[in-house]
Amino acid sequence: MLLYLIKRLGLSAAVVCLVILVLFSLLYFIPGDPATIALGPRATPEAIARYAEKMHLDEPVWRQFVIYIGNVLQGDLGVDVFSNRSVTTIIMERIGFTLALVTTGMGWAMLLGIPLGCLAAVKPNSWLDRITGVLSVGTIAVPSFLVSIWALLIFAVHLRWLPAIGAGEPGEFGDQLSHLVLPAFAIGLSWVGYLARMVRASMLEVMGENYIRSARAFGLHPRKVVFGYALRVAILPTITLIGMGFGGLISATVFAEIIFSRPGIGKLIFDSVMARNFPIVQGAVLVATSLYIFVVLFSDILIAWLDPRVRESL
Amino acid sequence: METLLDIRNLSVDFRTPRGRVQALRDVSFPVRKNRIVGIVGESGSGKSTVLWAILGLLAKNAEVTSGEVQFGARDLLHAGEAALRAARGEEISVVFQDPMTSQIPVLTYGQQMLDILYRRRNVSAAEKRRLAVEMLGKVGIPDPASRIDQYPHHFSGGMRQRAGIAMALLTGPKLLLADEPTTALDVTMEAQIIHLLQELQHELDATVVVVSHNLGLIAELCDDVVVMYAGEVIEAGEVREIFHNAQHPYTRALLECDPARIDDVSRKLPVIPGEIPDLTRPRQGCIFAPRCQRVMPECRQITPPDVERSAGNFARCHLLDGPLADPSWPPPHEVNTVGRGQETALKSATVASAEPLLDVSALNVQFETMGPIRAKLRGVEARHVDAVLDVSLSVRPGETVGLVGESGSGKTTLGRTILNLVRAQGGSVRFEGNEIRNMPEGRFKPLRRDMAMMFQDPVGSLSPRKSVRALITEPFQIHGITGVDLDKEAERLADMVRLPKPFLSRYPHELSGGQARRVGVARALALNPKLIIADEPTAGLDVSVQGEILNLMADLQFEHGLGYLIITHNLPVVRHIADRLAIMYLGRIVEQGDTAELFRNPVHPYTQALVEGVPQPDPDRRRAHVSISGEVPSLLNRPKGCDFATRCPYVQDRCRGEKPPHYELEGGRSHACFFPLN
Repeated sequence: MLLYLIKRLGLSAAVVCLVILVLFSLLYFIPGDPATIALGPRATPEAIARYAEKMHLDEPVWRQFVIYIGNVLQGDLGVDVFSNRSVTTIIMERIGFTLALVTTGMGWAMLLGIPLGCLAAVKPNSWLDRITGVLSVGTIAVPSFLVSIWALLIFAVHLRWLPAIGAGEPGEFGDQLSHLVLPAFAIGLSWVGYLARMVRASMLEVMGENYIRSARAFGLHPRKVVFGYALRVAILPTITLIGMGFGGLISATVFAEIIFSRPGIGKLIFDSVMARNFPIVQGAVLVATSLYIFVVLFSDILIAWLDPRVRESL
Repeated sequence: METLLDIRNLSVDFRTPRGRVQALRDVSFPVRKNRIVGIVGESGSGKSTVLWAILGLLAKNAEVTSGEVQFGARDLLHAGEAALRAARGEEISVVFQDPMTSQIPVLTYGQQMLDILYRRRNVSAAEKRRLAVEMLGKVGIPDPASRIDQYPHHFSGGMRQRAGIAMALLTGPKLLLADEPTTALDVTMEAQIIHLLQELQHELDATVVVVSHNLGLIAELCDDVVVMYAGEVIEAGEVREIFHNAQHPYTRALLECDPARIDDVSRKLPVIPGEIPDLTRPRQGCIFAPRCQRVMPECRQITPPDVERSAGNFARCHLLDGPLADPSWPPPHEVNTVGRGQETALKSATVASAEPLLDVSALNVQFETMGPIRAKLRGVEARHVDAVLDVSLSVRPGETVGLVGESGSGKTTLGRTILNLVRAQGGSVRFEGNEIRNMPEGRFKPLRRDMAMMFQDPVGSLSPRKSVRALITEPFQIHGITGVDLDKEAERLADMVRLPKPFLSRYPHELSGGQARRVGVARALALNPKLIIADEPTAGLDVSVQGEILNLMADLQFEHGLGYLIITHNLPVVRHIADRLAIMYLGRIVEQGDTAELFRNPVHPYTQALVEGVPQPDPDRRRAHVSISGEVPSLLNRPKGCDFATRCPYVQDRCRGEKPPHYELEGGRSHACFFPLN
């Protein structure tokens, strides 16, 4: 297990380094002077010269890369060209909102999708199975921005049950929570469908295995057989899917964040791209990617922990 | 004697797309207390369906149309789900066929056994664990207190089945059901498991129902036998009555077909012609009539009576009673009732003198077990294991060589290496005098026409989307042979393997095991090879049809002068077809020689153990003890001295320290033992 951990951590670190390299070289592949690009078209020549010196742009490229890596390792992702604030601080202000949104969105999808998939698999072709099947395909097919808009219209505008925009007053938990409901619903809905389908398929396969018949032959309670035995095996491929989905959502929340005017990483990247605020784009993409890699790593370790065969084969 | 379980008039249908399959029809038999009852039958006989019906765990498309299963005072068929669940695992427990797939891979044995005891609320977890450890010890698992925390994949096949038995007996059930308990195991392991079941039954006074197709196991283990055919009980009785005084023509035929019983190898193997009937169609008369040697016109019309000759012994046949009774039936035990075919064609005299077709010498194959980095980290120097070690073997044209060994002996690896599918690290493989070892595929491909492979899994090795016609002409396409009429070739090959023409347009899932095998033989023969390497050619086939395949192979050999290398663990079968045998153990050939000689007079203790390890289909020849104990060691811990030293009953100090070389004896015989027997 230890060797496995070391191996996976090393691999993840290597991927992060590769991402840094790509993000770093991106500035050089864009035609034109990096300082001009970084500061945007409206920068004065003095500002560009000051920036070039501060950013070590007169140094050879490899030195610049080493300096950049060094800075990143110290948590310094550069400085916002407009506000002159630290990019790290700006991202840290927003990341919490995104993580809260993704966790709630994925969380409710898991709480609903996994049991639905199980129940559908236990009684294939029952009415529950059929309804789940239709709803799954339906929710997967509808794009989340459409769900966002409709949810906004129905629950916030017409019924006025929930607030429409923003993330709530800082420090007020109840208010923040009520602001979370609609966007989390919107980004989680299609995942209910994904998970239900995925869990159903792997549960159907596992329920046909001989060891499930064994468990039933030993008289175990059906609930134990389904959730204690079958799901334990069937959940393994789903964990990979959830890990990748979770990681992907970190940057894919952009629609929900824009529609609900929520602060967050997705909206930050979107706004910075629009404003050509490159240090923030660079930093935010790096943080989002690293989080993705971390979540995938975490899900792989979780699988290894749950499945002794995986744990020992590596 | 008290009856524990009484099955009466049990009928079960399966709803399938082809229609209703009447899988069980009017099955009745009692299971008496403290007895071991064997249900014997071939595939499709419904023997496993009976087992699952007792437990109320039939497949979802099954429907019990009539009958009752009395267990004590209850009728299990009409008990509610909750009552059934209370009985399962507690009063009735099961040992499963395949311990590799019937134990959940992600839970430790401790957890699984704790779960089985979930109803014992007044017993503490520590006490449950103690019970589980005790039971694991009882079934012969060494160091149970620590092994209980391991997962199934940490256990070898034999150990898993022991653990499976421990799980089944944990609650002290009144009735133990065993579904083909040794089918997935090796011969030496099978003997140990049979012995263990016998011992435990004595000790625990349990009542056992064993389902098996293995006549040897039934004869060795059971007190009473129920013979099933196509969903009916056609004969039942005390074990000696069944094996020595069988009344039903099917039982007679089944016993006569078992290669383990036939000592005379000069004749072809007997077979029961025909196939098991289609159970979706309505039937009339006797179910066995279409395949029966003694069929009379009335058999096809009138249902035969159940003729009881003493309490509990009965058979369902017109020959025994009524207007059609034949006083001379059944004939004495020694007389054969099944057509025995002609004598096997004489081997051409040139065989012995001919130049070898295949000549393997001092072949070595190594597998890497870990990467170089991991080996460094763990300080392991030898990161390779010897899968095949110093193997020398030859096959002449027209000769059949049997390569025998248990799982993990390297026999399949050797076959694959000869066919250049695995790289060898040393030695030589010559085909018709030319070195072919590790030849680049481009140069080797034309040779594949001369060396064909028959694969182990007959259905799995055929593409499910291709028709039989396409499958048996595929070799022509693979080798880019044009200018042949493929349709004609397909018909010629189908003819050769005696596959009726309409079968050419069928798909693999529409074939029976025996038919799929024929397709495999036809594919191997398509390009007129000189050498055929057959991996377990009769695996998964019923006794009554495996003879057909072996006879067919023998005929084809005679006609075409083929050389066969037959890889198998089935000694009784290989005895009938092989001229010479090579016995493999842990990648090494421990004994090699003429088949008859080897059986009559085994020199290596392992050969002796294998020869004696086959359970005999004769209840009077039960073994009092198990010839060898233990298991094949892992290749990772190859013993320092003789590979067999860890299990050899005659082991001496020298064997443990030194590896015996290959000793040559006269008559092409060789062995690797310091202290040869006889």
